[in-house]
Amino acid sequence: MGIKLENIKKIYNGKTVLNVKNLTIKENIITGILGPNGSGKTTMMKIIADLLEPESGRIIYNGQYFNKIKDNLTYVSHNSYLFNDTVYENIAAPLKFREKENSYIEKRVKELIKMFKIDYLKDKNALNLSGGEKQKVSLARALSFNPEILIIDEPTANIDPNFIKLIESTLKSINEKYKTTILIVTHNTAQSFRLCDEIVFMKDGCVIEHKNKEYFKSPEKEFIKEFVRLN
Amino acid sequence: MEYILEGVEGAFKLIFSFDREIYSIVLLSIYVSFASTIISAFIGVPLGLLTGIKDFRGKTTLSKIYYTAMGLPPVVVGLVTVLIISRSGPLGSVGLIYTPTAMIIAQSLLVTPIITGIVFTNSKDTGREIIEICKTLGANRKHTFIKLIKELKPLILVATVTGFGRAISEVGAVMIVGGNIKGHTRVMTTFIAMSNSMGNYDTSIAMGIILLTISFISNSFLYNRTMGDNNGYKIRKY
Repeated sequence: MGIKLENIKKIYNGKTVLNVKNLTIKENIITGILGPNGSGKTTMMKIIADLLEPESGRIIYNGQYFNKIKDNLTYVSHNSYLFNDTVYENIAAPLKFREKENSYIEKRVKELIKMFKIDYLKDKNALNLSGGEKQKVSLARALSFNPEILIIDEPTANIDPNFIKLIESTLKSINEKYKTTILIVTHNTAQSFRLCDEIVFMKDGCVIEHKNKEYFKSPEKEFIKEFVRLN
Repeated sequence: MEYILEGVEGAFKLIFSFDREIYSIVLLSIYVSFASTIISAFIGVPLGLLTGIKDFRGKTTLSKIYYTAMGLPPVVVGLVTVLIISRSGPLGSVGLIYTPTAMIIAQSLLVTPIITGIVFTNSKDTGREIIEICKTLGANRKHTFIKLIKELKPLILVATVTGFGRAISEVGAVMIVGGNIKGHTRVMTTFIAMSNSMGNYDTSIAMGIILLTISFISNSFLYNRTMGDNNGYKIRKY
């Protein structure tokens, strides 16, 4: 059970950038997507998030066609678009899209603001924030509706070391508390060891290894060994 | 030099004399330009948004057509409009030639590509980003559309005010289709052109000052709505 990718292929300008024959990402755990630049990590995540259409293949989630759970999935990139509105309104947006009660929206947004320690930002316009602050707001916004699946592309790309710890512990606790399936695209091997249960290693658009994180601490393949050593 | 100073002095006297003819010309100019801008915005904003955000075959060709149309020569637009609405033209029986309606049509033809082009160019990336983020946050079509308009409001205002600026300062097309008839189709720009050729510099300068003032007011409105920080809003850099 989980997210099953079957024969997913994506072609850009005649070049195959993604070719995943068979991959099953387990539910309720944190899976890291590791690999060098241009290995197809973001393309694969965008296809899972339904932001890109593959040339062929299908995605099945717990035996169902994937589009049935689209409402419960979200994708956050390191430069996610924030609305030209206050931080509060940005975090409240997904709940307003779902037409939740005002009292619930207020309670939930306050919870997230407290969780990410961004109380001092709540009335600020989101466009005036620093890169790291924006990253925290987009993550808080993505979590507002308790998604079943959370896909994060470089979650700590713009964040200073103090907050990396906060983001990582938040993701861990969300996974433990709500059993959220989390997929993290990262270059940072140490971070993937800290956060993830399993790791998918990609190269040239293909999955070359998918194993428990312990395996990657002393991998067999020379290329992965070198990547882990350098990152 | 002296005649310029005399012209400026005469202009201020004319402005503060509240001359009925001058102010009726100003009102007609505002009416024609405003009407044509509204019509152009209603066509240009959705067209620019739709073609900007969607990917389709021929998009590059379409963008070239938009950019060409943005620089249409006003006299050519005036000429085409006259050929269509003149008595012997296909719409001759409607009797639009030398009327404010004809001027509105000609200005709409000039302003629509400007609004469409500005919205198209600037919504290509930002618009797609907004739609993408709305999708990942679970917005339906209605919510996505509302967010899109709200987020692109500064851009839509910039396009509309630029269109209005083009309309109110345009002379070639309105001269051809309107005929600069006193009390009927005479607007500020055609009045300035005529007064200048007659050597009436004071009235030309007076009208020029009013034209600049209107332009300043419309641009101030734009500035306040997009760059002002009264409500904490800031324009996103497109």
